[in-house]
Amino acid sequence: MNKLTSKLIAREFHQHRWLMAGTIAVGIVSLFVAGSGTPMLFNIGMLCWLTAIAAYGCVVAMLGIATERKERALLFVLSLPLSFGEYVRLKLFGLLLCFLVPWLTLTAGALVLVLVKADMPDGLMPFTILLCGFLLANFSFVLCSALFAKSEGFITLVIIVHNIAISLFIFLVGAIPGFFDHLKDPAPTWGTAFWTVLAIEAASLVVICSLPYFVVARRRDVI
Amino acid sequence: MDNKHIEMRGVRKSYRFFTLDDLSLDLEPGQIMGFVGPNGAGKSTTIRLAMGLIAADAGEVRLLGHLLPENQAIAKRDVGFVSDEMRLFAHATVGWHMNFIASIYPGWDAKYAATLIKRFNLKPEQPVKGLSHGEHVKALLMLSLARRPRVLILDEPTSGLDPVARHELLTEFMDVLRDDSRSILFSSHNTVDVERISDRIVFIDRGRIVDSRDKEDFLERWRRIQLQLAPGAILPELPNIVGRVVDGQFVTLTTNHFSNDLLARLGPTVREVHRMSLEEIFVASVFHHREVAGQ
Repeated sequence: MNKLTSKLIAREFHQHRWLMAGTIAVGIVSLFVAGSGTPMLFNIGMLCWLTAIAAYGCVVAMLGIATERKERALLFVLSLPLSFGEYVRLKLFGLLLCFLVPWLTLTAGALVLVLVKADMPDGLMPFTILLCGFLLANFSFVLCSALFAKSEGFITLVIIVHNIAISLFIFLVGAIPGFFDHLKDPAPTWGTAFWTVLAIEAASLVVICSLPYFVVARRRDVI
Repeated sequence: MDNKHIEMRGVRKSYRFFTLDDLSLDLEPGQIMGFVGPNGAGKSTTIRLAMGLIAADAGEVRLLGHLLPENQAIAKRDVGFVSDEMRLFAHATVGWHMNFIASIYPGWDAKYAATLIKRFNLKPEQPVKGLSHGEHVKALLMLSLARRPRVLILDEPTSGLDPVARHELLTEFMDVLRDDSRSILFSSHNTVDVERISDRIVFIDRGRIVDSRDKEDFLERWRRIQLQLAPGAILPELPNIVGRVVDGQFVTLTTNHFSNDLLARLGPTVREVHRMSLEEIFVASVFHHREVAGQ
């Protein structure tokens, strides 16, 4: 990574700093609400926590790529001494880092909540980990699609798919035989289903993040 | 050693509804090249090819000797590029951009940047999103000029600016050329600006170069000649006449190869000979080219 790309990655951090802080704050408050004791508050809290991470991911991808292109700052960035391939790499790396800060914080927060709260079964841990892994992979899908996209309509479609995918994930993973049954266990069950889903998430993340390197970064016409 | 700042040879770039074809041009050190064409002529496409932002379908593009688009990152270290379609980061201030550019370009001249800030009436603490169009263009040019690039590539930089702002910018461009190792490629459809600062002029229309030569050469070769023919007289066939308007016995000829020999051939019918402005030359040249090409 050269000085210019480091500076541009630092700029991403600088630009999204308040958004990052706000997401972390909303997420932590949501976790406190979720841990307040009643099932209703648990549901509300977890829904807000989930929405905070998912919405932040969409906003970061939109602001970092689509809005920059729409506001024509992309031409300014590309006037600097870097290739389009380097631009794609710095956007992927920079925005992924911007997402990882709140994601790691709020994932850790959710796991601590499950572990610390006596009335929450530790059997929820595998599902929490898989859900957080899915949110990361889902963000990378939006991020890489924004790099691919040349129209706002396409990005809107991607965000819709992203939002639907979260609901589908919760229903589908919850319906895996032998998985749902262990959610209320006092100890986590790290069975085959868990490792299979985690491996699929990891593989998806790698594939999705690799695609821009092989496709978008090789575009010869970038404007 | 070949030291051309920009070199294009037989460049072709096709889009669905537009083709830039057989484009060849050279920008020499110390030269200001005015690239003039109507809207949609291919100016911005050429500029983007010269910056490596798009790749030619055929031909070769070199910037400071580096083949594009492959080596654009190296080539752009010594290039300042400003386009009227370019914008700075909306959520940062002018000062932030100055620090950012200063940290990337070792040649950043802080003293010159401060002079330009004052001359352009910009404020470093000003957020970019609050800048007017003119201020935005000035900020972009300040950031480009103060890094002291060897080549300035400007795509319609004065578009949408008031006359005072245009005057300020053009004066700054002239200053850049005090160091004759630097050069400017300047695209515009404003021929007044181009005529003022360029020493080499290229006309482009519908994706093809119509004419390319030194400004003085253009101004010396083109003339509008008014004739008054004797009743019943017929004007003989003359070479290098690109335009002819007949109004009774009065005829106005436009030539792109003016010479005393031509005047001698026209004899006493000549009433007046007018020098042409670059705009008049450009328009006549484009229409003549279209006529010849049967477009």
